[in-house]
Amino acid sequence: MEAKPSNLVDQLVVPGDVILDLSNMANQTLKLSGGLRQDGDSICVMKAGKLRFMKPNKYWVESSQKRYVPSAGDNVLGVVVDTKPENFLVDIKGPALAFLPVLSFEGGTRRNIPKFEVGTLLYVSVVSANPGMNPELSCMDVNGKAAEYGVLKEEGYMFESSTGLARSLLSSPPHPVLEGLGKKLSFEIAVGINGRFWVNALQSSTVILVGNAIQKSESLSLVQQKIYLEKLLKSIHSRGCKTSDQ
Amino acid sequence: MEHRLANSLIMTVNEKKFIESALLSDIRVDGRRPFDYRNLTIRFGSEDGSAEVQLGQTQVIGFVTGQLSQPYRDRPNEGSFAIYTEFSPMADPSFEPGRPGETAIELGRIVDRGLRESRAVDTESLCVIAGKLVWSIRIDLHIIDNGGNLVDAANIAALAALSTFRRPECTLGGEDGQELIVHPPDEREPLSLILHHFPVAVTFGFIGKENTVVIDPTHYEEAVMGGSMTATLNTNGDVCAIQKAGGDAVSQTVIMQCLRIASVKAGDITSKIKDAVESYNTQRSLRKIKRHNPDQQGSSDVAKRHMERLTVGSDQSGIASQFNEHDKTNKRNSTLKGFSGGPASWDPYSKGVDGDALRTSLASRVAPVDKQKEESSQVNPETKSNPKSSETNSIALTHEVGLERKQSKSLKDAVKPKHKRRNKSNAS
Repeated sequence: MEAKPSNLVDQLVVPGDVILDLSNMANQTLKLSGGLRQDGDSICVMKAGKLRFMKPNKYWVESSQKRYVPSAGDNVLGVVVDTKPENFLVDIKGPALAFLPVLSFEGGTRRNIPKFEVGTLLYVSVVSANPGMNPELSCMDVNGKAAEYGVLKEEGYMFESSTGLARSLLSSPPHPVLEGLGKKLSFEIAVGINGRFWVNALQSSTVILVGNAIQKSESLSLVQQKIYLEKLLKSIHSRGCKTSDQ
Repeated sequence: MEHRLANSLIMTVNEKKFIESALLSDIRVDGRRPFDYRNLTIRFGSEDGSAEVQLGQTQVIGFVTGQLSQPYRDRPNEGSFAIYTEFSPMADPSFEPGRPGETAIELGRIVDRGLRESRAVDTESLCVIAGKLVWSIRIDLHIIDNGGNLVDAANIAALAALSTFRRPECTLGGEDGQELIVHPPDEREPLSLILHHFPVAVTFGFIGKENTVVIDPTHYEEAVMGGSMTATLNTNGDVCAIQKAGGDAVSQTVIMQCLRIASVKAGDITSKIKDAVESYNTQRSLRKIKRHNPDQQGSSDVAKRHMERLTVGSDQSGIASQFNEHDKTNKRNSTLKGFSGGPASWDPYSKGVDGDALRTSLASRVAPVDKQKEESSQVNPETKSNPKSSETNSIALTHEVGLERKQSKSLKDAVKPKHKRRNKSNAS
């Protein structure tokens, strides 16, 4: 039997709201994720944000913060701050530094430990994140392949964002500003769910344009984003025409 | 060790390289050109002498207070001012609460040197009784958010706060003419400080091996730059102070170029500060006019009559002379009676108010206040040699309480005679 989704799905909820009353529902298993708690017969909200539901039975609260709370399975952008014999200490914008074992690379052995200097930007995956302990990272996927993980090129620039913006950049349908800019300009982008994204392009001006446009579009609604995008593309086009004339 | 690492700004290799390479094409990470300032907003608080400055992401609050104190022995007829900085830990993860660190002290020194060495604040006007009592001004600068270039923002906050600060007017009076009376703001309009000029600080950062110069660095650029220089200038073309503490060596031509750019920027910033201060002052005087209390019917009649007279232009000179007469009697009265000078004795429109009824109603309230004055004035000669501001404040407080009880105020209370014509043109 499928559960009837709560009335508050996709709406803003605040701590204390009761989203479901279990006494009305028959034998069902629900999966509660971040921001929700079972209080006897009622499911209450613990974190302010939007309530989300995924069939058949998953509920969670999505909110946007400047700080990141590490959780297993996330793909994040980390910065190396120190090297130890066993691990690299990597900052992932969480409450504690994360450990990246020196052997967690594809084909990694004691003989070919990579040499990262302080300040290297990495795209890594969070393996485990228990509260109170330092999170553990890995540069391999489940099968032991490198996949896309590893060091990002030494060009480009890393911009900071909130966790909500990072999530919307990774969602499908894609973020309107990102999509619009992608059609006109050529650049590459790596987004970490911890509120960091890295942009690289041939010209520095493109990188700066894309990064600042995405950062500024966070506070705009969908309609405003489209208007902002149109204005931006017009100005790029006019600037492009001028430079080509010269 | 982890704690220490987490406190400092973590920069990636990419960021450093990118900032340098982007500067080669004359563009900065937030889209500015190398000699562009960020958006500057100056706001004022509800009290005189408090200003909040926002320069991009950087936010600084400046607060000016004044206190009566003894002067230094070698400068008996000059007041003093001191600058205190507080780097709030909420501004940056590397700021710790408690004693100010190196950057905090350096910032305080730069702002202090700009104001003191150039004699921007007129300290001689702060003297009340030579050798005994002077005003000591305290400027507090609180850093609320560190987005880079704290020095410039803090300097602007200090200048804006100093421009709007008002200190109470002091006169010598009392029975023997030696007693100091600090007039509360209700009775006498407080005076502003005399600022001869505005020393504006402009900070430059030197980034990369080619020593590319950027103005108003953000905190990312500050982490990457090899050296920085702060030049404090005013619009008259004087260089008030230069600060270059360590960092990369810079050639002479670069320094001269920086100073030329700084003088242009100083002019922009000075005009922005002056505009903001002017709009604050007009708002303040508008607020004072509206302070008229409509409770007493007599005073509302007074207001009507006042408005009628405002519209009739020919009466202007008549009113001015009438007010001047009453002002002289007012001064005489205030010195004789101490603080009991209220609207009844110097309100020029007292014809419109039933003076006797007003006086009897006031007398019943003024009497207990007068008794307190007598006691305090007896205490005063004893403590005259060591006047503490707490004493004068308590006198001012008791008087303020007394004034609040008196409800009859007219529009004339708020307006000084010399500003009258300007305010009339505003009102009409």
